Amino acid sequence: MPLALLGYALAVMLTVLAATPVSAQTDGLELAVKATYLYKLAPFVSWPASAFASPTAPLVICVQGAGPFGQILDRAVSGQAVGSHPVTIKRLARVDADSGCHIAYLAGGPGQSPAQALQAMEGLPVLTVTDEARGPAKGMVHLLLARGKVRFSVDAQQAEAGGVVISSKLLALAVAVKR
Amino acid sequence: MTPRPQWGQPGRRLVNVAWASAVALLAIGALLAGRTELSYRSQAQRQAEVQADILAASVSAALAFDDSTAMREYLDALRVNRRLAAAAIYDAAGEAVVVFHRPGAAPPPAHIEVLSSRFSHRHVTVTRPVAQQGQRLGAVYLETLPEPWTSVLGRHSSLALLTVLAFLLLGVVTAAASQLQARARLLAEANDRLRQEMAARSAAEEALRQSQKMEALGQLTGGIAHDFNNLLQVVQGAFELIRRKADDTARVGTWAQNGIAAAERGASLTRQLLAFSRSQKLELRPFVVADLIGEMRELLVRTLGPDIKLSVELQEGRAMVMSDRTQLELAVLNLAINARDAMPAGGGLTIRTRLRSVPPGDPMLAAGEYVELSVADTGQGMSREVAERAFDPFFTTKGVGKGTGLGLSQVYGVARQAGGAAQIDSELGRGTVVRLMLLRSSAAADVAPGPGEPPPILAPAAGRTVLVVDDEAPVRALAAETLELLGYRVLQADSGAAALALLEREVPDLMLFDYAMPDMNGAELAGLVRARLPDVPIVFASGHADTAAVEAALGGQATILRKPFNMETLARIIAERLS
Repeated sequence: MPLALLGYALAVMLTVLAATPVSAQTDGLELAVKATYLYKLAPFVSWPASAFASPTAPLVICVQGAGPFGQILDRAVSGQAVGSHPVTIKRLARVDADSGCHIAYLAGGPGQSPAQALQAMEGLPVLTVTDEARGPAKGMVHLLLARGKVRFSVDAQQAEAGGVVISSKLLALAVAVKR
Repeated sequence: MTPRPQWGQPGRRLVNVAWASAVALLAIGALLAGRTELSYRSQAQRQAEVQADILAASVSAALAFDDSTAMREYLDALRVNRRLAAAAIYDAAGEAVVVFHRPGAAPPPAHIEVLSSRFSHRHVTVTRPVAQQGQRLGAVYLETLPEPWTSVLGRHSSLALLTVLAFLLLGVVTAAASQLQARARLLAEANDRLRQEMAARSAAEEALRQSQKMEALGQLTGGIAHDFNNLLQVVQGAFELIRRKADDTARVGTWAQNGIAAAERGASLTRQLLAFSRSQKLELRPFVVADLIGEMRELLVRTLGPDIKLSVELQEGRAMVMSDRTQLELAVLNLAINARDAMPAGGGLTIRTRLRSVPPGDPMLAAGEYVELSVADTGQGMSREVAERAFDPFFTTKGVGKGTGLGLSQVYGVARQAGGAAQIDSELGRGTVVRLMLLRSSAAADVAPGPGEPPPILAPAAGRTVLVVDDEAPVRALAAETLELLGYRVLQADSGAAALALLEREVPDLMLFDYAMPDMNGAELAGLVRARLPDVPIVFASGHADTAAVEAALGGQATILRKPFNMETLARIIAERLS
């Protein structure tokens, strides 16, 4: 059965060819997932009405410090909206109460560590997102890797203090919830 | 045979109505079933959609954050729904992420493009979006197991019931209609039979009537022949006596008188017949009933014979009635003869007159004063049935040749014509009373000639000429001789043509025409003569039964002399017309 043999050989070749770039981009894939998670969190979060200037005011995702996403995040949120709020990206070295963020990814950098940034944002209606890969500081949502997948834990106390309500659906999906 | 009615029509209409009802019932049933089906489908669809929506809401976070374990858990939770065949969760690109299907059920599609919700082949397939705050995250897919046939049948049991009922209705009605048709056929046959029987009966009745008529005719001719034979016997006997003993002038007078009396009775008899046939014009004149009875007394005594005692009670004084004197005489005579025949062993006859006042509202008579003339006997009487028919013409209890059956009928006719009525009170063994109620008249009575007086010969108009036209020579000769005896000059003609020829030469003072003549009758002759001699009076002589027809032919003012007439009547009428 030369045809079957040929088909088998072809399949093996293709598998080899495809496997090589996947393993090379593992880190990139993880980043891309994290980038989409940033805006995908938004529908499961409620901000106080005062957080938006108008019903169509943009929902601002801030990336503090040495953000790792580059153009990945921009591509991911491009044209996206949460409710009536278009999603925009802000890149900042430092964040504070006047930064105008709704979601803040605290990567940490030379000017402000994730912990410092967290402190600066404490009690504000801003969903703070920290990353296990960026340090031990834990915001309201802390991204982590579990069984090879990007997952998260939730700190409901912080969120409550900041006036941010996190959907129970999200809480159900979290690997850990601090209440 | 009349066309047979359409007996099948109502039955067929009934069946048609039943069919229409059944069809309507089925249509309504189908409509209801359709509605039920539609509502069931939309409900099933709605249920699946709601379940899909719940699933979509539940898996939104898991789908957003790609938690296939969580999604699998959610899908597994749906397995408890036994009606679910398959379910799947798709990402935003439409690719299946998590899939579940029961064994035997087709797996959900691996890729979906559009959302849909449909019911087909007894199952629901529904695709619903998964979204969070307007952010489209993916889709869920649900497919139910096909609905079991038992459930479908259960749902449509009402339609099945309606169908069964409709056909049951049809069956019942068709059966009833065919039964009805059968009965209608029977009825039609019975009706036909009835018609035939009625026709047969009608024919039988006609035959019976015919035979009754013949019988009546037989009785009539028998009766008349008997009476006439008696009268002719007298007349013939009288003439024979006169011929043999012409010299015995005293006795010849008596025999002649007997002959004349017999002839007059014959005339009365024919008058009676004519009165019965209603063609004889009655001569209604006012007279006193008491006088009439008084004059008849002798005759009645002779008629009744020695065994019957006659008593007369006249209580009405001088009250008058308007009637035909001769007819009333005949009526009384008839009643006396009937009474005599009813009392073969003798008895009593009472003739009574009295005044009776009839109040308004009497069923038989108009209100007013009446003279009641009653004739009562002590004979055998008659049964109710006989009494009821006694006034019918031709009805008689006497044997053939003994009576005409016209007597009482004539009595009734006289009473009616005198503005009254007649009635019979009779019982078997208790005698009979016949009462004639005659309306009292206030007119002045004609002076009746006294009984036994010689007939007054009216003073002849000497020298006056009378033309007698009659085709029958003996009658013409008799009239001519009588007129000559009265002093007239007489011209004779035996036909209309001869009369006209004679009138060319001479104009008479009066003309006496027979009515019934061949070639040219009296009326036609009079029509021709009147144009030329309008001032010469004409008298018609007629033995014709149909007096009314004669009068109509001659005009109302004609003078009619009825045959047979006696010398006195002829003399009076001629004198009247000449004066």
